[in-house]
Amino acid sequence: MEPPGEETLVERARRGDSVAFETLVLAYQSLAFRTAFVIAGDASDAEEAAQDAFVKAHRALGRFHTGEPFRPWLLTIVANEARNRRRARGRRAALTLRAAVEPGANGEDPEAAALASERRERLLSTVERLSDDDRDVLACRYLLELSEEETAAALGIPRGTVKSRTHRALARLQEELQ
Amino acid sequence: MTDLELELRDLGEYLDVPTAPPLVHAVRARLDRRRHRRRLLALALATGVAALAVAFAVPGSRASLLRFFHLRGAVVTIVDRLPPLTPRRPLGAPIALGQASFRLLLPDGRRPEGVYRGDGGYWLRYPGLLLFEFKSGVGAEILKKAARGTTDVEYVNVDGEPGIWIGARHALYLPGGPPRAAGHSLIWQHGPLTLRLEAAVTRDRALAVARSVR
Repeated sequence: MEPPGEETLVERARRGDSVAFETLVLAYQSLAFRTAFVIAGDASDAEEAAQDAFVKAHRALGRFHTGEPFRPWLLTIVANEARNRRRARGRRAALTLRAAVEPGANGEDPEAAALASERRERLLSTVERLSDDDRDVLACRYLLELSEEETAAALGIPRGTVKSRTHRALARLQEELQ
Repeated sequence: MTDLELELRDLGEYLDVPTAPPLVHAVRARLDRRRHRRRLLALALATGVAALAVAFAVPGSRASLLRFFHLRGAVVTIVDRLPPLTPRRPLGAPIALGQASFRLLLPDGRRPEGVYRGDGGYWLRYPGLLLFEFKSGVGAEILKKAARGTTDVEYVNVDGEPGIWIGARHALYLPGGPPRAAGHSLIWQHGPLTLRLEAAVTRDRALAVARSVR
């Protein structure tokens, strides 16, 4: 028996199949939360944004074009919700890195591990100092590893703008790092 | 991709992102309330009377979702790569067999070596075999991720009830916890329960165990 593809699940959800919609929620909840968290920078804002996004997506299923990919469509809604919360808060909480285990704990050279960790800290703080536009495009493309199409959907900008903004943001980041 | 781009991608792996909260129950509750309100509104309009009046953590979501398998209480998704996995954690609080809130099903009627309450259900420990039993609602409640190409996933039939066989290492998400590494597993429905069996056995052996529960 072939498993239902995403298209089938979306179609079933449109017809009112709640299990199909919940399957989509379960499958995409961590992507939605992570995306919202990277944009909003706050866990409770991210949770609310992701939850609201799924409720709104359910309401808007009737307007979803059959055959189109669900993921970018959902990301548009999630990112909108996350940006609204960031705006309401008036500032974005800065992203941080996980606490290092123990430099060199995995058998690597402790000095090299410490340097790599320092480099990562510097890179993240530099990304965080960029403008919202530059920071968001880099966060979507690299930290979240979204495709250009998904980034365009999440940020509500044309794909060409994603390309040019990414190029510009990388150049600025490089400049700041030197 | 330039070195800077590669570094940025690598940075994503080190971000301190909290474990994603389980959203299914909250979203379900909100949609149910909405449906309920709509029914009330319809009733109010019809009579001319004004009467108006929700667990699982899933980090590592960057992999693309390729296919779904699902049955009541469980979803298996095929992704292009697995998230970072944590080692096993304790199964839960040890309890006596008779302390479960429903009658636990036992393979061949054999008593387990240990019974634990945790993760929204009950774990039964046998030599070389773990069984997890829970009462499933209409929605999906446990999620598994399997990497494309390295894992066999297929629908199976367990005495007329649907099941899913996963023939390799995969990620198991249970309410509120990080994804953990899991081996060969069979998940199937049995009346109001959903059962999950994990053991280093073949599909046919797992099916034989599943068919023997009573």
